[in-house]
Amino acid sequence: MIQDMRLIELKGVCKQFGDTEVLHDVDLYIRKCEFITLLGPSGCGKTTLLRIIGGFEMPSSGEVLFEGKDMTGIPPYKRRINTVFQKYALFNHLNVFDNIAFGLNLKTPEQLGVHTKKEKKDEIERRVTRMLKLVKMEGYEKRSTNALSGGQQQRIAIARALVNEPEVLLLDFIYVTHDQEEALTMSDTIAVMNGGRIQQIGDPKGIYDEPKNAFVADFIGESNIIPGVMLEDDLVRFSDTDFQCVDEGFEKNEPVDVVIRPEDIMLVGEDVGMLTGVVESVIFKGVHYEMMIVSGQFKWKVQSTTMQPAGTRVGMTIVPYNIHIMHRTDMDHVPYNTCVPTDDPQEEAKP
Amino acid sequence: MKRSWYATPYALWMLLFAVVPLLFVCWYAFTTPEGTFTLANFQEFIKPRYMGVILRSLKLALYCTALCLVIGYPTAWFLAGRGFNHAQSLVVLILLPMWMNLLLRTYAMMTLLDDNGVLNAALQALGLGKLKIIGTEGAVLMGLVYNYLPFMVLPIYTVLKKMDYSVIEAAEDLGCNPLRVMTRVVIPMSVPGIVSGVTMVFMPAVTSFAISTLLSNGKLRLAGDLIDYIFNQSSNPNRWNIGSSFSLMMLVLILISIGFLRKVDPDSEGGGMW
Repeated sequence: MIQDMRLIELKGVCKQFGDTEVLHDVDLYIRKCEFITLLGPSGCGKTTLLRIIGGFEMPSSGEVLFEGKDMTGIPPYKRRINTVFQKYALFNHLNVFDNIAFGLNLKTPEQLGVHTKKEKKDEIERRVTRMLKLVKMEGYEKRSTNALSGGQQQRIAIARALVNEPEVLLLDFIYVTHDQEEALTMSDTIAVMNGGRIQQIGDPKGIYDEPKNAFVADFIGESNIIPGVMLEDDLVRFSDTDFQCVDEGFEKNEPVDVVIRPEDIMLVGEDVGMLTGVVESVIFKGVHYEMMIVSGQFKWKVQSTTMQPAGTRVGMTIVPYNIHIMHRTDMDHVPYNTCVPTDDPQEEAKP
Repeated sequence: MKRSWYATPYALWMLLFAVVPLLFVCWYAFTTPEGTFTLANFQEFIKPRYMGVILRSLKLALYCTALCLVIGYPTAWFLAGRGFNHAQSLVVLILLPMWMNLLLRTYAMMTLLDDNGVLNAALQALGLGKLKIIGTEGAVLMGLVYNYLPFMVLPIYTVLKKMDYSVIEAAEDLGCNPLRVMTRVVIPMSVPGIVSGVTMVFMPAVTSFAISTLLSNGKLRLAGDLIDYIFNQSSNPNRWNIGSSFSLMMLVLILISIGFLRKVDPDSEGGGMW
């Protein structure tokens, strides 16, 4: 269970390398027992953020608190934090057992709750054996780390960090697109990052259902992003059609980004659809079919359990609460579902 | 054509100039000038005046290796550092003396250390008086270290440079203070480089030739000089036989030390020069 206590808190953390700003004004807290995942494209600042928490980088400005106490300037070896590095960084001069025992060997017998050196040795052996069992690598004690597969190395790296029972475990893993589901399933909290800023932070469902901007919508799961105009409260116009929606508080005629998940578009008869289009391609994806449907100047990605063959004219309907309206972001490039790439789709979408 | 054929020129070269001469050395070492089998040549080896030279060679080579390691390791560590951008130019500076002939370098050392040399002139100018350096074991040691230091720095530098920096961070992360990072991770992981460096310094140092004669005014001989001396003893009819037996003994000594170093670095990760 997540406890209310804030274990780690970042306040206004900025990081520059020379002239490049890698992190911009990051506020973030991690509570006890919370599983938080940082998601974002490569170069968005995830690793730098982890390195600042781990103590390998100093923030250019801002504060890092551990249990409320400032820990800026405290070296990594004095932090009750352990890291699993992206490239695992195993010690290849030591075997699997000694790799896992590395942190424990540095501790005094008292720190391990025993008194003599002999007891320390036994205690370390007990803990390392337990870890090997946990990562399902029993029997690998004497193996050289060079002889392990990538997956096995990763498990040893996790065991090596976890055996120290750190307050915080930092995992610098690459989440490729198809692993996102895993991140959404496992995490209590997800922070989506881009360009050194946290774009949105919240629980996985909130992030998926209510993305704050087109970037988050595009990065988390699959989505159709269409430029639109908010005509009035609960009424949006996109693809030359007016749609009922459930969003309020936008300015009259404000240009917006409209996000619709592929599974939220229903295929209906051509005559009853809110939009009509032609099926361009169909891919079978196991649970559903994924169709690309060309309608006007946009290409819609639609997921459905029933298949319409390529070339069929179809109608599409979208219920109001599945239409997500977002303020335009300052992103350089919004991945609109335009058929023909234009120089500036945002310009065209203006009324 | 089979791939092994491409090594034919080298094989011929080795056969003519290494294998055949070595067979000659063996022949001479185990025979008298008349060509009958004997082990008497090896008995010369344990005569005090010769044994002293061998022991001095081993001692100075050991000191030289130790000094090179103590000076060379920190240098290599500094050069391989991430924050240091001029590593390449400094490595070239370290290599620079190696481009010069060994004798030339040693003569340069002589003029520096001579009784009326640069060093003593400087000391006198400072009112500190002269130092007698040439002719001492210290001078020979300095000459050896000066000549062989790059062979220690380079293999260690190569290994340290290849080392993934995240390994150092992992050690810090797991609780190592900077000293323990060195003793528990950096030094153990650079053992292959150390083995390679030690080999590349110790072997030429123990068989070094001319350096000690020049820097000691001919007073202190090392094993290499001794073999040279024996082969040139025109009055001694056994000179080829005794000289050969000494050469063979040195070869065995070196083989033993290679065997020992192989134990420390079984995979020859430090470049596998030997």
